[in-house]
Amino acid sequence: MTADTTYALPADRAYDAAQHTWALYDPAAATALIGIDALGQASMGDLAFLVLPAVGDTIRRNVGAGSLEAAKMTGDVLSPLSGKVLAVNAAALRDPSLVNRDPYGDGWLLKIRPADWAGESAELIAGEAVSDWAEAEITRYRTEGWI
Amino acid sequence: MSTATWRLITDDDVTASFGLAADELITRWVGAGQSVPTLRLYTYAPHCALVGRFQRLESELRVDYCRANGIPMNRRPTGGGAILMGAGPLGVALMLPGAEGNVYRRARDQMAQVSEGILAGLRSLGIEAEFRRKNDIEVNGRKIAGVGIYRAPSDGVLFHASVLVDLDVALMLQTLNIPVEKISDKEIAAMSARTSTVRRELGRDISVEEVRQAIATGYAQVFDAELSPGDFTPEERDAIAALEREKYLTDEWIFQATAVPDSAAAARLKTPGGLLDIRVALSGRIIKSIFVGGDFFAADNAIADVEARLRWHPAEPEAVAATLRATYERWPIELESIPLDGLIEAVQTAVERAAAAQVAAL
Repeated sequence: MTADTTYALPADRAYDAAQHTWALYDPAAATALIGIDALGQASMGDLAFLVLPAVGDTIRRNVGAGSLEAAKMTGDVLSPLSGKVLAVNAAALRDPSLVNRDPYGDGWLLKIRPADWAGESAELIAGEAVSDWAEAEITRYRTEGWI
Repeated sequence: MSTATWRLITDDDVTASFGLAADELITRWVGAGQSVPTLRLYTYAPHCALVGRFQRLESELRVDYCRANGIPMNRRPTGGGAILMGAGPLGVALMLPGAEGNVYRRARDQMAQVSEGILAGLRSLGIEAEFRRKNDIEVNGRKIAGVGIYRAPSDGVLFHASVLVDLDVALMLQTLNIPVEKISDKEIAAMSARTSTVRRELGRDISVEEVRQAIATGYAQVFDAELSPGDFTPEERDAIAALEREKYLTDEWIFQATAVPDSAAAARLKTPGGLLDIRVALSGRIIKSIFVGGDFFAADNAIADVEARLRWHPAEPEAVAATLRATYERWPIELESIPLDGLIEAVQTAVERAAAAQVAAL
């Protein structure tokens, strides 16, 4: 079977299955990058605006860590992890379409120091589980007409 | 969808701050289970100018004119562009508990659903309108209603719409910073030809009340909902007043700005079909509005569709060209006097100039 790379969900990071956000953990630095995955951004549509918390703010898992507007819908970005904000992607704030164009690279949102990586990452999809989950999610999104 | 009971609130002559605070507060409370699902059909007085959730107000409104003429300015919790509200546009606010799961996917699903209530109401009046995912609700290419969604942290969802029962186009051009060269009879006529109203479609002076009743009935039918006429509770009114004071009456909310830069530019191009005068406003890399003028002959509704399809559209040249090609496929006769390649070139030139203005402003 040929892999579908259009909506790739790379296995190097962990995913919140409900919100379609991702977290990429760096164990050496004990930091994590946070973003929106390819299915999440594709189903939302073109991001027009993005507002993120400030460096030094504390965010909590499944609680608003910023807000956005895509295709005239506004709402919160729900973080997959709790922690303290270490850096904010200023380029994405100026040009939210970066999230659409490069969701795993230049379109990252926040760099945080996770408050409980061991505990909260257990609630995310990661490692060997990503491949099967990704295939099922892409099929589901296609079937339901979201991508 | 199972039968539901919704509170129906009808209120008129509300202020901008009260109208918006009430919608946000009830949405929050509905999400938290403190308020019942509510359909609100209302009008504003005096006229007010409302920008979308993240728009830069100074870019979208003619602030000096609004201040000099007592037109309140405010910021919606929902997305989209700036609008002029008043006694003519009917405000629709449907406030429901949200579903679990991917909030934006669900919201987009429900964007079409919420429009069905309005479509059914208009249909009962004899107007065949349709929902266009990005272009709101239109009648034969002309916008007759705009729709936006806000998802509250409490999981309540607000569907906002403004149904144009009537519209003061001249006042709209004075109030909103629409990218036209100047405000003249010609611009007013052009803008009037590209939007529609319930009154124009019906050819009679239908009352806002009659349209309100039709839309209420439309929602009840489409959602299989029982509408129970009611009002805000005293507790809700207290909380709405507090939200007005803390948010919707503050400059911090009304004049807030994001990091996304705004810019505007024009391009003119002589074509065999006539002169094209394109005016584009960008928000970052998104086209937030476009005005197609000139001395060509083309159907107004087709031009309105060109403008609507490119509104809130990525500014990338390939994407713009693809959308214009698709628009010409819909209106091959109506647009035949304007060369497609010429229109693509003129729009892209205007976009490039607007993008360059953003870089120059850094």
